Amino acid sequence: MSSSPRSSASRTAIFALGVGAAIIVVSLVLLAFGVNVLKIGDTFVTGLFPPIAVTTEGAEIRDLYTVIFLIAVAIFLVVEGLIVWTVIRYRRKPGDDTLPPQIHGNNIAEFVWTVVPTLIVIFMFIVSWQTLNAVDTNASDAQTTKIRAVAGQFQWQFDYLDQNDKLLYTELLPMVSQGGGMMVPAGRTVQLSLVSHDVIHAFYVPQFLFKRDVVPGRTNQFDFTVDAADAGQTFRGQCAELCGTGHSIMLFEVKALAPQEFDTWLAGKAASSPPASQAPAPSGGSPAPSGGSPAPSGAAPSGAAPSGGAAGPTLNLAASNIQYTVKTLTAPAGAPLKIDFDNQDAGVPHNVTIHKGSPTGEQVFAGDIFPGVAKKTYNVPALTAGTYSYVCAVHPTTMIGTLTVQ
Amino acid sequence: MAMTTDSHPLPIEHNPLASMPHDTHGGISNPVLGMLLFITSEVMFFGGLFAAYFSIRANAAQWPPINTETGQPFQLAILPFVGPATILLILSSVTCQYAVWMIRANDRTRFLRAMSVTVVLGAIFLLFQGIDYTILGSEGLTLSSGTYGTTYYTLTGFHGAHVFGGVIMLSVVLYRGMAGQFSAKHYDAVEAASLYWHFVDVVWILLFSLLYLLPGKTPTT
Amino acid sequence: MATTTLTPTIPAYRTGLYAWLTTTDHKKIGIMYVINSFVFFFIGGLLALGVRSELAQPGLQYLTDLQYNEFFSMHATFMIFLFVIPMLAGFGNYIVPLQIGAPDMAFPRINALSLWMLPLAGILLLLGFVTGGTAAAGWTSYAPLSEDRPLAATGYGQDLWIVALVLIGTSSILGSINFLVTMFKMRAPGMTLFRMPIMVWTVLVTSVLVLMATPVITSALIMLFIDRNYGGSFFDPSRGGDAILYQNIFWFYSHPAVYVMILPAMGMVSEILPVFSRKPLFGYKAFIFATAAIGALGFSVWAHHMFTTGAVYLPFFSIMTFLIAVPTGVKMFNWVFTMWGGQLMLKTPLLFAIGFLTMFLIGGINGAFSASVPVDFALHDTYWVVAHLHYVLFGGSVFGVMAGFYYWFPKMTGKMMNETLGKAQFVVMFIGFNLTFFPMHELGLAGMPRRIADYSSTAGWNDLNLLATFGGFTIATSMVLFLWNVFVSLRSGEPAGEDPWEGNTLEWATTSPPPAYNFDHLPEIRSERPVFDARHGRTATH
Repeated sequence: MSSSPRSSASRTAIFALGVGAAIIVVSLVLLAFGVNVLKIGDTFVTGLFPPIAVTTEGAEIRDLYTVIFLIAVAIFLVVEGLIVWTVIRYRRKPGDDTLPPQIHGNNIAEFVWTVVPTLIVIFMFIVSWQTLNAVDTNASDAQTTKIRAVAGQFQWQFDYLDQNDKLLYTELLPMVSQGGGMMVPAGRTVQLSLVSHDVIHAFYVPQFLFKRDVVPGRTNQFDFTVDAADAGQTFRGQCAELCGTGHSIMLFEVKALAPQEFDTWLAGKAASSPPASQAPAPSGGSPAPSGGSPAPSGAAPSGAAPSGGAAGPTLNLAASNIQYTVKTLTAPAGAPLKIDFDNQDAGVPHNVTIHKGSPTGEQVFAGDIFPGVAKKTYNVPALTAGTYSYVCAVHPTTMIGTLTVQ
Repeated sequence: MAMTTDSHPLPIEHNPLASMPHDTHGGISNPVLGMLLFITSEVMFFGGLFAAYFSIRANAAQWPPINTETGQPFQLAILPFVGPATILLILSSVTCQYAVWMIRANDRTRFLRAMSVTVVLGAIFLLFQGIDYTILGSEGLTLSSGTYGTTYYTLTGFHGAHVFGGVIMLSVVLYRGMAGQFSAKHYDAVEAASLYWHFVDVVWILLFSLLYLLPGKTPTT
Repeated sequence: MATTTLTPTIPAYRTGLYAWLTTTDHKKIGIMYVINSFVFFFIGGLLALGVRSELAQPGLQYLTDLQYNEFFSMHATFMIFLFVIPMLAGFGNYIVPLQIGAPDMAFPRINALSLWMLPLAGILLLLGFVTGGTAAAGWTSYAPLSEDRPLAATGYGQDLWIVALVLIGTSSILGSINFLVTMFKMRAPGMTLFRMPIMVWTVLVTSVLVLMATPVITSALIMLFIDRNYGGSFFDPSRGGDAILYQNIFWFYSHPAVYVMILPAMGMVSEILPVFSRKPLFGYKAFIFATAAIGALGFSVWAHHMFTTGAVYLPFFSIMTFLIAVPTGVKMFNWVFTMWGGQLMLKTPLLFAIGFLTMFLIGGINGAFSASVPVDFALHDTYWVVAHLHYVLFGGSVFGVMAGFYYWFPKMTGKMMNETLGKAQFVVMFIGFNLTFFPMHELGLAGMPRRIADYSSTAGWNDLNLLATFGGFTIATSMVLFLWNVFVSLRSGEPAGEDPWEGNTLEWATTSPPPAYNFDHLPEIRSERPVFDARHGRTATH
């Protein structure tokens, strides 16, 4: 059966194909090389390159990426170019029924395009291996700052350790904007160990160009050194291993401080909020030490005993599965009240804070944050009539309720 | 005038080529090749289970682990049931192979006898294994007794399930043999079933050596 | 004496729907595999549209976190286990016996069993949607998340998922046994192993992979089931188990599985390129060795999915992953040089084959980045990987399947598909595919992790996500064109005749569709292109 001469429908189709391909190519070029075009917030979308690294290890990885990228572009242009050219050049002319030369193969060509790619991939492996040895280190000396990131469903906390792995201070809030975050000294090596309470998580900071899984039953460890020049900057981080329904909100921030500033900060924290127990956080089940983390903001008293006024009611509230079990509470106005708060989430810190009106309104009370399974009674001072929100400071997006005071 | 043939309708997919031998390249028959390939897949299945066992065992400082109820390491007993069961299973492979040789030599009587003995021995193996399970259960070793119980019951349980499948297969072969379907010219199914049975036996020998004979380990403090 | 003509009646129960439901004919079974696979392709596609709709803008608009997790988990599960793998098995089922000149597969009844296990497994998976939730721990179902009922809150969905996958795995294994015995024992006289068409070779290597690798995931799934339901301690660290053990056993299968998902598609492309270039495949034997090398090497790279766990021997898995690019590259060059110097007939099957080449190349290139361990530390579990996997699975396997469908539809139905609609589908699908997945390279580089239901509006990912969603709906449009083409062609497609494309291999030496016994007669088999030889006489240079 002979092929029919190219019809007009076929010509149109090829034209459309060409236009489509042209659109694609132009778009890809724009997307690829839109370097530093989109700068939103603290993050840079840098086209087909990773962000500028802020650690020495990350810079090595970025250089390696560049090498591989150049090889990739070269291979892409050569092979895609070959395909496109072949398709254009060897289109069958209408009405031409001759058989082209029936070439079955060429052993020399096979040899060449087996050996040359092998050499290319061996080269890529070697440069990768060299970078790996430089990046994936685990040294520890007297100058190293030791931090332990503890991951649980669905938030991070950071334990600061001394050289003997003694716990100095636990930061329960993962975000700088909450008053927490992971502080690190710029220009000094940080040894980060990773511990999980429950399922597999991953510690990922895009601007470090690095991530490491946090596996229950195992303690992973890696070093990083933020460039001294990046002191004062905050880097966003996020859990990068599916860990359940809260995976997408498991954010954290890393803030680099100048070394002196960091030392002062840590000494201050260790003095004002020492951890209750000295045992290192375990991997697999038992709760983190209940450090007395201060209320994030506001001048409201923290669990201070009320003085005067008629004793108010005791409200019962529990936290389970990163939710308050009761979403509405009522209380009488003008009387101090107690909240019996039952944290049923093993190893997960919660608290109760009360805000005027919406969850982001003025904070009028903040209870101690503590990990479950445990109970605490908060003493809330008398409130005027109105509508309030109660919010967990650690999980402000998922743990919200309404308190009506009348 | 057409006459219909209701009593012997031609199957719609009957065709001349289908009645040709399905086997244009000689050597082992299709069913036997198929069974060998199936056994390969079963080897990989047990391979996954064995890999889990080896990995868990290698990562444990103490093996067998301590039974929290008795304070002593878990213990498995070769007597009175598992040891004899092992011997019977090995014996059943011998009788099974003998059955294959007999049908190859067209000796239907000896084939049937040997195959019956094989089926009975296989059933006794399962019985002894079941009794041993109840003894172990009463001693506190269950699927949920930590890594030791989980791996022991999973490995031996799936092996037992394969023995059960093999007993069914051999029973079908025995039934077909009694119905006169096998002879020196047609015995592919017998050979295939016996290959499976030998496989099940070899897996048991490996399992038995691993679980019962390999010395345990204690932490060197 | 009167003569009587005996006319066998075909009993009513052997015709129509019942005939299809009880058939053991590899051609009908192959077609049903293809239909079943397309049904689950569309279900998986709808789930993808749900995912993309949710991600188009920051904020949770349509789905809860749990529903989102279910959607992407089931999207991948349906696509991998009920679309790509069975689709390729279905094409193999139809084509392999024809291409080797056999009347059917070696074990026709087991063939039927393999088929019917699939819709059953699909129903089990769908049941999750109406019984309290499907699996929601990703198609990879890592422990201990997949063992953690309370906070994963999936009810029995994960268990349904395990049972369905064990069923599908069994179906695959039985199918692979069938293929291997058929290919080794039922070739027509004259068809030596090195005269088998390339499609048959790729199905052969695929079958070996399925046979050896699938049982391993069966064992992992069973161990997971025991952990979940019988208090087992395989993978749960709180009970003495090892979470990484699950990953090792899982990926030992799931990496070879990706070659199961691509090799037959490569086989199809390798049939189409020679026919539509009017030249033989360049380097037939080299191609076979490259395929075998990919199959063998494929077993040695699994832990490249686990570079960030801190629990694997990095250099070994990195070098093996890099090395597997070599035979893949050999194939790429063989394909290009098949077209080189040819007479290219730019019909729809060839367009999809060229789409395969161009897109699979990108997928292979971006995979090389992940093979480099330090770069993988940055890219693992980000949208870069989503880009890579879709370039190889969609750009590769789906384009290959489309090429094969357009190529063999005339043989299966006796009708030609509409060329204009086919070309239109190709253009829309090509554009949609690239719009969806190319931006994901950048999203991954910029730090967007996988499997997140929502993202911060200040992260800088808004525009690219919106673009990707637009691309996703463009792909959906192309599939509407495809369905329309199938419908129109089935109703009123041009009659195809025996050999509408001037094919090379034996399936073109019989009617369209072939009769129940496949062949009335077979041409002489003296090369891997027996129909070409017959058409041109053996004097064609060989």
